[in-house]
Amino acid sequence: MLRKAQRRIIVPFLLPAFALLALFFLYPLFRTIDLSLNEFSRTGTMTFVGTDQYERLVGDPDFASSLKNTFLLTIIGALMLFPPAITIAWALSHRLRGERFFRFFVFAPVVLSVAVVSIMWKFLYHPTLGLINPTLEGLGLGALAKTWLGDPATALAAVTFVSVWHGIGIWVVLLCAGFERLPTDVLEAARIDGAGEGRILFSIMLPMLADLLRMLLVLWVVQSFQAFAFIYIMTGGGPFGSTETVGTLMYRVAFDQADFGYAAAMGVVLVVLMLVLAKVLNKVMKRDELQY
Amino acid sequence: MTNSSTDVIQKDAPMSPPPAVEEPVQRRKRRRRGSTEPRAPFRTYHLFFYLLLGSIVVSTASAFAWVFNVSMKTNREFLATSPWELAEGWRWENYANAWSGANIGAYFGNSLVVTLTATAVGVAVSVVAAYPLARVQFRFSGVVLAVFLMGLMIPWMVTFAPLYNLMQDFGLLDSRIGLILVYATYNLPFNVFVLTGFMKTLPYELEEAAAIDGASPTRTFFSVILPLMGPGVASVAIISFLQNWNEFFYALLLIHTPEKMTLPLGLFQLGQAANYGTNWVTLFAGMMMTVVPVLLAFALLQKQITKGLTVGALKG
Repeated sequence: MLRKAQRRIIVPFLLPAFALLALFFLYPLFRTIDLSLNEFSRTGTMTFVGTDQYERLVGDPDFASSLKNTFLLTIIGALMLFPPAITIAWALSHRLRGERFFRFFVFAPVVLSVAVVSIMWKFLYHPTLGLINPTLEGLGLGALAKTWLGDPATALAAVTFVSVWHGIGIWVVLLCAGFERLPTDVLEAARIDGAGEGRILFSIMLPMLADLLRMLLVLWVVQSFQAFAFIYIMTGGGPFGSTETVGTLMYRVAFDQADFGYAAAMGVVLVVLMLVLAKVLNKVMKRDELQY
Repeated sequence: MTNSSTDVIQKDAPMSPPPAVEEPVQRRKRRRRGSTEPRAPFRTYHLFFYLLLGSIVVSTASAFAWVFNVSMKTNREFLATSPWELAEGWRWENYANAWSGANIGAYFGNSLVVTLTATAVGVAVSVVAAYPLARVQFRFSGVVLAVFLMGLMIPWMVTFAPLYNLMQDFGLLDSRIGLILVYATYNLPFNVFVLTGFMKTLPYELEEAAAIDGASPTRTFFSVILPLMGPGVASVAIISFLQNWNEFFYALLLIHTPEKMTLPLGLFQLGQAANYGTNWVTLFAGMMMTVVPVLLAFALLQKQITKGLTVGALKG
């Protein structure tokens, strides 16, 4: 009786959400695949060209370099993100004085808009008017001063750093939750056996958090493959294409060159690569599930 | 088992005390943030933690202090003085200029309307959809849920070109309603994910009891289930609000007229203009005005926001 009555609500309850999803996500997603198999002329007509767009991608140096930059951003970002995030979460798990205060400052950038953070850092990086170079000079480290965003050698790392600075609070919060769920008796046993804090972190805590770390790494890959706003606002892909990622290239190709089919093909390749990479990471880092 | 192992220890080292006896073994239970438990006693290695966290606080705070300081300067001061030099006077007129002259006030209003509506629509629609997905058995429920959750893995931005054309066809391009619908949809996967997980933790006897009392499933949902969803709904509402408030890409894609721009897009435009013009201090005042309310709200809601995040991402 109950089951039968409940069945009547399935469609009306699901319909509004599903309609939105179908209209603004599923339909554009399928259309993207469709578009990638077509060619647009300047007059706006569409002709089916099969896999031509994909073949074009293979020989396109701009796409190759944007793909390289996307991977670089993912790797540099992971290196900039995970060691500090783990250290901060570890520090916060020690019940320090002023914990709430520290948490506030670590997490605060997360709630700020990407636009504000990008503009702010664009100025902080400014060679003469900003904060970083003059501070370095003030500390007698003038040799380290650079035109951070204007130099192809540093621009990508500088932009990546800002996106890490902005989002690190999320990762710290998730890691903190992981640390909190660790069984205290195991950690106490290790302490009683005389293990140092560092040893406990590397030999017990991190191995027990392997599952969480794997999930966070996959999340980072998904997120950094979509990098757009930071780059668009801070460098616009420059200097000399050194920060051009697939996301910004796609946007430029679609709106500056009106080449929607080609942009769509880039998008499809990006999604496929991302899913493959996520799958591989999941497989490679898979451990036996721990129960605790 | 325990006996034999302590025997071994005692036989091996009968005289040496166990290393960690300088303080009684702390039986710390699962910690809850914000509890009134006493802080751990200071140990030497804590110094490293304090230095690390302290440097984060100092660098973040000085970045904001710098923005505030510049927002109090004149353009000439900004160009001529060193970045560390304090502003000569309190130039609150920069804020007035940003608010009305540079349209920050209008952007603020747009952001508020778009964000609040989109969040309300997204949460309402997903809490209703989560109910059958979590509590009613039907044939393709797993598939439907998977379709919703697919949105958590697929990068949404790759679909921007067809979305742009679709909005154009519907006449929703460059309109706040279009942006609201897109934001509400964009929130769905995360909302559904959190809310179904949350609903599954409720006991199934609730529906049975309600059915025996003669309540229809719709009535059961609204009078029994929904009132219990408070924390879950608050969680997704706060996270959606933050996301929508700060969203940049879709605003850039879909909105073109300055009068309809949201705050992030408006600030971006102002930033572009400052690159060519000379009106830096107004931009800095604008940044301060967008940053301060959000930070104040965060200071008040810190616990709910961080908790909402972990509810979604971790089980339990």
